[in-house]
Amino acid sequence: MFRITIVLILMLALVAPGARAGAIRVAASTTDLASIAKSVGGDRVECFAIAKAGADAHRVEVLPSYMVKVSKADVYLKVGLGLDQWADPIIDGSRNSKLTVVDCSAGIPVLEKPTGGVNASMGDVHPNGNPHYWLDPRNGAVVARTVADALARIDAAHAGEYHARAGELAKQCESAWENGKQIAATIPNRTVLTYHRSWPYFADAFGFEIAGQAEPVPGIPPTAKHLAELVEIARARKIPVLIQEPYFSADAGKFLAREAGLRVVVMPLSCDSADAGSYLAHIDAVIKSLAGAGEGS
Amino acid sequence: MERRLALVLFSAAFFAAPARAGVTNPNISVIGQPFMRWHDDASDPSHERATLDPGEVEGVFDAYLNPYASGTFVLTFGEDGAALEEGYFQLLRGLPAGLALKGGKYRMDFGKLNPQHPHAYPFATRWRVLSSYLPGEESLNETAVELSGRIPAPGDFSLTASADWMNGDTFRVAREPGGSPDDPLAQGGDDDAGSPRPAFLGRLSGFSAIGDRSGLELGLSATTGINNVAADARTSVYGADAKVKLWTADNAYLLVQGEFLRQDLDHAGWDSTAAAYTTSRTHSNGGYIHADYNFKIRYNAGGGYERFRQPVAGGDWDQAFKLWVGLSLMEETTAFRLDWDRYLPGDTAGGSPDAINTITLRAVFSMGPHKAHQF
Repeated sequence: MFRITIVLILMLALVAPGARAGAIRVAASTTDLASIAKSVGGDRVECFAIAKAGADAHRVEVLPSYMVKVSKADVYLKVGLGLDQWADPIIDGSRNSKLTVVDCSAGIPVLEKPTGGVNASMGDVHPNGNPHYWLDPRNGAVVARTVADALARIDAAHAGEYHARAGELAKQCESAWENGKQIAATIPNRTVLTYHRSWPYFADAFGFEIAGQAEPVPGIPPTAKHLAELVEIARARKIPVLIQEPYFSADAGKFLAREAGLRVVVMPLSCDSADAGSYLAHIDAVIKSLAGAGEGS
Repeated sequence: MERRLALVLFSAAFFAAPARAGVTNPNISVIGQPFMRWHDDASDPSHERATLDPGEVEGVFDAYLNPYASGTFVLTFGEDGAALEEGYFQLLRGLPAGLALKGGKYRMDFGKLNPQHPHAYPFATRWRVLSSYLPGEESLNETAVELSGRIPAPGDFSLTASADWMNGDTFRVAREPGGSPDDPLAQGGDDDAGSPRPAFLGRLSGFSAIGDRSGLELGLSATTGINNVAADARTSVYGADAKVKLWTADNAYLLVQGEFLRQDLDHAGWDSTAAAYTTSRTHSNGGYIHADYNFKIRYNAGGGYERFRQPVAGGDWDQAFKLWVGLSLMEETTAFRLDWDRYLPGDTAGGSPDAINTITLRAVFSMGPHKAHQF
């Protein structure tokens, strides 16, 4: 009986999942990459993201349902630079030998790449550099070209379409960057505090200066001593804003708001959906929130 | 056999691409788990005094071997020296129909707790029903080959089946000599202890996501092997398990997990009258359930209960309760776990003075790459 059960189980397992339909299925670690892929692929792609908007993309629990989703995908877009290491067990668990895995950090001018040795006493440091590159729309254009190349390899017949759309998105990214800079220029004091070291690319793109982080070192929750130091800095430099991701505790932000009189702007790091246009809409929303012209605070 | 296997696997891992060592070096993690323990078990000379123990140190080496396969070694270092706890390769891609192949020595995929390493438990020691029913000293850990595959299912429901063919050595139960002079054990025999005793394990598990992050996993496991070759005596264990993880806030979740096991155990003997081996079978069952609440990323608290019939003829029901709290300074890199275990063996159920209380304070520290959390 036991052996018969085993044979039945194996026979069931041998029934292969169905082949994909016409559209190229694109799985992405984040909604930003999925949105860029949708802009590049148009109707020829179906995109979905593993990490949900507003979730901490550093820490995603590997669910078997993600593996099932990726088992039906043709392309997987990784953020890379050590941010989405959780993608590896999902990709492995998908058992999808036809999956094309694309590291979207390729070609990105990486910021904050450590020059010396890195160890855990420095906190949760990314040894290959800061991975939050999508928050600079100019890097969105780089990702678009990387995605277009990948789609063209899979579907050579429509390579021209993919590259043309990537070029169009690159223009939109350039425009979003120019527009964002103009909005940022209206902000009298562009010195900010951030909770985590997530915003250097954004600051670099739009001319903000990051005076410090609520976390004493990356990944370590704020300490009383460190927050006291930040209050001194914020008062001395009249820093108007702390940018914080929604998944962090609000306690430190409340303390800094009370003691230093700054405003806490809670913004997710990623856009809210995998739809085309969502990526740049998020960048626009962040800049407008900081300018006090939008929602999100 | 294990040493040969380890040598082969080491060779595969380290000589695959010698020219690019920087790329192909394995990830290395080391996990320490010293603890302090106090208990009131009067049968132990060290009872009612706190003892410090360095615990077992675990070294983990793992890497992709090539685009299709990965290799893993888990070495343990303790007072008895070094031992190979696990050493296996996995062929992850390239087989037809999404099948995966695993071979070597590894913790068998029976239920939810057996495949886990103890440092990952929120409590100090595994539930006794597992140690009583499953073969193996610390876990059902065998040299085996596993074939697994995903069964097509609607939507994103994950249905996975696996079948393992095991060496079966952990199923061996040494028989006590019966006293008869014609008993083969009395004549220097060993009940064919060295003969092949292949064993098998099958598992079917299904996972369904609940919302974005929560999920429910249900599983069925069965294993059978020969505990005495000469008497053709078998040990079979069947299990059903369930695990549900519900996120109640961005940084808080409740995990509830339970397993029910049934063991059919043949007890081998020698009938001097018939001059033949005999077997008598016991059927035992039991299980555990526990709940663990994690909040603010770094704290957890929980409790659990188990009840199972001792796997002997006319065995009584054993019970145990556990309560625990934990603090992780930064995820698994440094964690402190305090655990109270109250064991009510057999006829003492109901709280007689023979209940055994054990309090354990563990420090679990891990250096090396931090791996993603699996459901």
